[in-house]
Amino acid sequence: MRDRTVLHIEDNEYNRKIVRQLLSRTSYRLLEAADGEEGLAVAQRELPDLILMDVQLPKLSGLDATRLLRADPRTAKIPLVVVTSFALSGDDRRAMDAGASAYLAKPYSPRDLMALIHRFLPEN
Amino acid sequence: MREAWTTDRAASPMMALLASPLGAPVRAVARIRASVHVKLLAGFLLITLLFIAITAVSLRTVTETARQTNLLDQAHVRVGWSRLIEHALAMQMHFTSMALLAQSEDSVSLILRENNRFNDTLARLETTAPPEERALIQAIRGAQDDAMATVADIANALRDRRTADAMTALRTRQEPIYQKIESLVGSLVAAEEKRMASLRTSIEAAQGRSLSQMAGFAVAVVAVALIAGFVISWSFILPVRGFHGFLSQVAEGRFGGSIAVPNRDEFGELAERMNWMSGELRRLDDEQRVAAATLRGLNDRLELASRAKSEFLANMSHELRTPLNAILGFTEIMLDELYGEVPPNLREPLVDIQTNGRHLLRLINDVLDLSKIEAGRLELGVEEYSVQEIVDVVHTSLKSLAIEKGLAFNASAAPDIPPARGDGRRIMQCLMNLAGNALKFTHHGRVEIDVRLDGGWLTYRVSDTGIGIPKEEVENIFAEFRQVDTTITREYGGTGLGLSITKRLVELHGGRIGVESEIGKGSRFFFTVPLHADGGHA
Repeated sequence: MRDRTVLHIEDNEYNRKIVRQLLSRTSYRLLEAADGEEGLAVAQRELPDLILMDVQLPKLSGLDATRLLRADPRTAKIPLVVVTSFALSGDDRRAMDAGASAYLAKPYSPRDLMALIHRFLPEN
Repeated sequence: MREAWTTDRAASPMMALLASPLGAPVRAVARIRASVHVKLLAGFLLITLLFIAITAVSLRTVTETARQTNLLDQAHVRVGWSRLIEHALAMQMHFTSMALLAQSEDSVSLILRENNRFNDTLARLETTAPPEERALIQAIRGAQDDAMATVADIANALRDRRTADAMTALRTRQEPIYQKIESLVGSLVAAEEKRMASLRTSIEAAQGRSLSQMAGFAVAVVAVALIAGFVISWSFILPVRGFHGFLSQVAEGRFGGSIAVPNRDEFGELAERMNWMSGELRRLDDEQRVAAATLRGLNDRLELASRAKSEFLANMSHELRTPLNAILGFTEIMLDELYGEVPPNLREPLVDIQTNGRHLLRLINDVLDLSKIEAGRLELGVEEYSVQEIVDVVHTSLKSLAIEKGLAFNASAAPDIPPARGDGRRIMQCLMNLAGNALKFTHHGRVEIDVRLDGGWLTYRVSDTGIGIPKEEVENIFAEFRQVDTTITREYGGTGLGLSITKRLVELHGGRIGVESEIGKGSRFFFTVPLHADGGHA
């Protein structure tokens, strides 16, 4: 069985770097995309096992990308965690409405992120 | 002036009358430059004069009638005198005959007496006779003189015993003379009677004339008095009606109109005053409108600016969060030694970075909350929540801080509280803010949380034995960035936004917040929200 693949869609290089660092010591394979359109294309091409989706993305917003992924039967069932900018602003509800499996408020603790990844995608 | 007067709603028959030529004198009287007092006085004087005139006319009629009656009386007397003359003449003839029969002169003296009576009466008739009767009277007198001459002849004949001569004289001379005199006196009497008859007719005519004159005059006087009364009174009533309509307009808030009355009396002055008042009202109203419009514009602009500010803050908070995520994330994975072992001398500064980063995060969160509330973009996520759970979460989160400060920290909710409706996370945020503050500002003693249900309202209370709040600050404590003084911010930390946000969130739930505090003894903060809040917009 191949390594579990995680797709991280995030426009901020440093935040991508944190996830890269976190997953470097695990068996997960990490794919990255820097905007909504690219993220959508990669997801549809690679069909990852878990998607981490930022809310605010260039070109295509995280929520719109989520909706498109959910509308596509190939990607409809992939666990998808939306990283909202602020839990109390209502982004969380919008994320769940768009079809997210879970949400994580930014700024998040790297420990919490790892726990969430493990919940949806136990390591081999 | 016409339009001012016709503002009166009910077009009465009186108004129609005023539109007729009768309206002209009304306006003319109104235009007279005199006071109402003088006008009224003049009106009464006019009517009084008319009554004096009617009295004078009737007096004149009475006098004229009396004069005519007097003339009639005189004529009557003269007829009497004429009859007397006739009688005296008859007596003369009688006595002359007697003298002849008695063959003596004795009766002559009696004849002379009758002659004197005749002459006296004739003289009286003559003095008052109209000119046409004078000739008649002269003729009578001449005939009488002839008669007396004949009497003398008869008397002489008798004395000389010439009876035959006397008889002849009597028959041939005296009798024709007497017949002549008799016919003359008859003419006189007839003339007087004719005059009397004409006088009688004339008196009757004069009486009829004066009666109709009087009646006509009386009718004229009454008509003039009525017209004068009408004209004067309506010259006052019309402006009053105008004022009535005009003041109704002003009362309805239609300022700036003007009233025009033709009056040059007190009513005219009143109209001028009213116009001035109306102008002033219009001016004030305009000023007020302009001011209100300016204020509205200003208010709109302020509101726009305020919204722009809030939106800017919301966006900024968003933008700030992304780099902050990186800072906190890197710090944490460094402290978790994902990059390898952390040298002991670097661990403390790394923890400092983490502490300050978290404080910055709280600030950003608070600013975002507040700006969202102010921009009217914060919506409550209303759902069912458990009060007990909220109390437990807050208690668990803050317990370590209380233990650290050595404070007693208890939290309880009344056991009879059913599941509530509202934004549970926001309620928790509120309780967390109040409890966090209480722990922050209490150095010894205890902090207590309790929740009660009373008539459909939940009351959350946080009591402490902390430093308390000065009375003059209690009112401001819920305003933004308001801690009692700036040294407190430095000493106790915090954003200064917590209470303000808590207040807004409570109000969004339709509730209210309050505080009782005594400096040095402690504070008790409480907020009340409906057990079933429907949620609203900021």
